[in-house]
Amino acid sequence: MKYAFLIYGDDSEWVDLPEDERTALRAEEMPAWVALFEELGKADPNVTGHELDGRRTARVVQVKDGERLVTDGPYAETKEILGGVFLIDLPDLDEAIRLASLVPAAKHGSIEIRPLVG
Amino acid sequence: MTVEQAFREEWAHAVAILTRVLGDLELAEDAVQDAFATALERWPRDGTPRSPGAWIVTTARNRAIDRIRRERVFRQKAELLARLDAMPAEEADVTAIPDERLALVFTCCHPAIAAESRVALTLREVAGLTTPEIARAFLVAEPTLAQRLVRAKRKIRAAGIPFRVPPDHLLTERLRSVLAVLYLVFNEGYAATSGQSQVRRDLCDEAIRLAKLLAVLMPDESEVLGLLSLMLLQDSRREARAGPGGELVLLEDQDRALWSRDRIREGLRVLERAVSLGNAGPYVFQAAIAAAHAEQRPREEIVALYDRLAEIDPSPVVRLNRAVAIALAGDVEDGLSLIDQLAELEGYHLFHAARADLLRRLERRAEAAAAYREALALVANEAERTYLEGRLREVS
Repeated sequence: MKYAFLIYGDDSEWVDLPEDERTALRAEEMPAWVALFEELGKADPNVTGHELDGRRTARVVQVKDGERLVTDGPYAETKEILGGVFLIDLPDLDEAIRLASLVPAAKHGSIEIRPLVG
Repeated sequence: MTVEQAFREEWAHAVAILTRVLGDLELAEDAVQDAFATALERWPRDGTPRSPGAWIVTTARNRAIDRIRRERVFRQKAELLARLDAMPAEEADVTAIPDERLALVFTCCHPAIAAESRVALTLREVAGLTTPEIARAFLVAEPTLAQRLVRAKRKIRAAGIPFRVPPDHLLTERLRSVLAVLYLVFNEGYAATSGQSQVRRDLCDEAIRLAKLLAVLMPDESEVLGLLSLMLLQDSRREARAGPGGELVLLEDQDRALWSRDRIREGLRVLERAVSLGNAGPYVFQAAIAAAHAEQRPREEIVALYDRLAEIDPSPVVRLNRAVAIALAGDVEDGLSLIDQLAELEGYHLFHAARADLLRRLERRAEAAAAYREALALVANEAERTYLEGRLREVS
């Protein structure tokens, strides 16, 4: 069973931090992320994951009546936006919930578990 | 054995076995349904088979093969048929298949399924109630309920909800969800008034039957026995809690001759077993309180039990009940001041009803009337409404 873990959080403060502060915060959380990658890799050696760049870099494309419309993103005008994605193959939902709760971002955001179709 | 009796006893068993083999609850249910339809045709004509349960399982297996050949695409066909092929085709060998009903219960009560769907699914798959029966019992339209069941079954498959008894580290949490479902079923039936359909009140028996099944499957879980005992003891008062016009009769005003001695005896016996296992949880304490009422123990004992219950479950509703127990034991003022600290319950009619009752006992009639009015604005149940209106007239 393949699942996507969608990592949501409020990045509005994060994007305004100076680069060195961001690096420091990242370093602080790094051991937890390393532990997570290890667990995910044990569960599925082919797991993939990516962090998305901040909300200011987002562009939204829509095609309406053949007309292309490009606007500054992100698509949803909410505080919490998609900040990262994992794709992973797991035996069942219980295992997905266990692993998702190990994502450090679950402490200040939320992890949405979505089964992939097919 | 009639087909109807076999249905009561064998439905969940057959659905669980087929779900284990097929990995698909929907297909399993359909196949077992087909098997019982065949039984209705054959048994009256050919006689009841020697082992009705085994007959149902093997017939369901064959019906599943038919369905898969008809309905499934090639890739799925080969895999599912291979799995059914590995199943015993002879009735005599079916008894060797392990009991999977517990896995069925836990799957139907998985927290990833919407709470209302857990209840409907458990009644359908484990208790074997039909969709129209469940719809009538919960006062919802049949298509709505059918839709709810379909969605829940699809979710089990699509989200990968496992078909199994949870491992130890998840068991306590999951068992809590299972027990909550059973108690919800019971309360749905218990809240039904005498004017309402029998099928609603049958939910009490259904919940007790499910709890007994669970107690057989998990004999060492004290909370399972605690819930079973609690339901038996509450159910013992079923006939006494409504007056001739369907109006609510409070515990202290009930005609004790109408209490069911058999239910009380059974409830006390189950409670004793629950307590002997140690590790008493909230259901065991609630059962102990119900037992103390049934045996008309001194009020102080009931307060002491509520103290213990509030220690392990300090939820506002428990604290409300504890405050009422304290008031009924004589400290009406103390009880009232404890209730007044529970502002988070302001949307709950029994909070206002309890306050009103204590204010009435204290002869603070105007305040009591105001509280009865607040309770009336929130109450949904007809019998409780009639009761509250009567009290309001008394103090006005």
